Amino acid sequence: MVQVKKLKDGSRQIILAPQQFDEITKILSELAAKTKASTILLADISGQLITQRGNTDDINTAILSALAASDFAATSEMAKLVGEDAKFKLLFHEGEKRNVYLSNVGDNFFLVVVFDVSVTLGLVRIYTKKAIENLIKVFESSETADDSSKIIDDDFSSMLGDMLDESFK
Amino acid sequence: MFINWALQEINLKIVYYGPGMSGKTTNLEYIHSKLDPSLTGELVTLKTKEDRTIFFDFMQIEVGRIKGKKPKFNLYTVPGQVYYASSRKIILNGVDGVVFVADSQKDRMEGNIETLLDLEKNLQEMNQTLENFPWVIQYNKRDLPNAESLDVLQKRLNLFNVPYFEAVAIKGVGVFDTLKAIINLVVQHVQKQI
Repeated sequence: MVQVKKLKDGSRQIILAPQQFDEITKILSELAAKTKASTILLADISGQLITQRGNTDDINTAILSALAASDFAATSEMAKLVGEDAKFKLLFHEGEKRNVYLSNVGDNFFLVVVFDVSVTLGLVRIYTKKAIENLIKVFESSETADDSSKIIDDDFSSMLGDMLDESFK
Repeated sequence: MFINWALQEINLKIVYYGPGMSGKTTNLEYIHSKLDPSLTGELVTLKTKEDRTIFFDFMQIEVGRIKGKKPKFNLYTVPGQVYYASSRKIILNGVDGVVFVADSQKDRMEGNIETLLDLEKNLQEMNQTLENFPWVIQYNKRDLPNAESLDVLQKRLNLFNVPYFEAVAIKGVGVFDTLKAIINLVVQHVQKQI
């Protein structure tokens, strides 16, 4: 499954295996094709973009996912304030040309679907719901990623230090 | 932290925390203005008409590939004013490291302490503590005539002896030193955790 590890200090680490990434990408591509969505993002609730589909050239998707995560989180706080015990599960922003549909995928992720106003919301809802079910299956699949301890070693730290020095001149 | 093995990406989240007007946004603005545009995305700031951060500022830094891996640093600021407490909590979600930007001016000491306590409270809600979490302090506005002495600031704010930096963020003094220190600390911390 997508490893959401609790580290010793209580922080959360999310690790995605290549095969899961491929499956996720496939699900999002299907969703994009069926809803004619212009852009689809999958991100984690802290705002980190996981993957994107559709036309993402003229949108800064790192920023879009950061904003969407905050949007989501702000709405959860609103839910608490108005006495709604569960979190609001979806958000919908209606524009003149584009609409944005946000929905949570389990507890740790959410989906952003940007689509043209000519597409009916009902259609987007149905296909997004299906996509979310499939995504959750992928997240729960038994695929495990490589050992993350190999990813950052002493070498990595010192090389990163050098690169930062270079960049911050 | 988010690791994507398919793309070999490591995403880390760093939050600039501190009382209102201490210079958190100024830090990001300076970094954004000085870094090569190929390394950084756009700087997004959600401000009020009076130029106060209402929700957060955000920018992403990439330094290229290291041993095939692509580290990305997502920098956020929080709104400093007391009444935006819930926004601050939201932005801390999934944080890997914190830069506490303190205002060196004598009359801002209480504000610094109040915000530090607020940070600790929010970290505790995420089962973290200031004692074990990667964070650094930046004493900003060192050039102002009413700046408190470093000794006093250290005694009252640096309770866990974390790395600290004197800064004049508006002129860029200390800005990159602070950023480099927090990135190093976060990477070391991650290394220890996994």
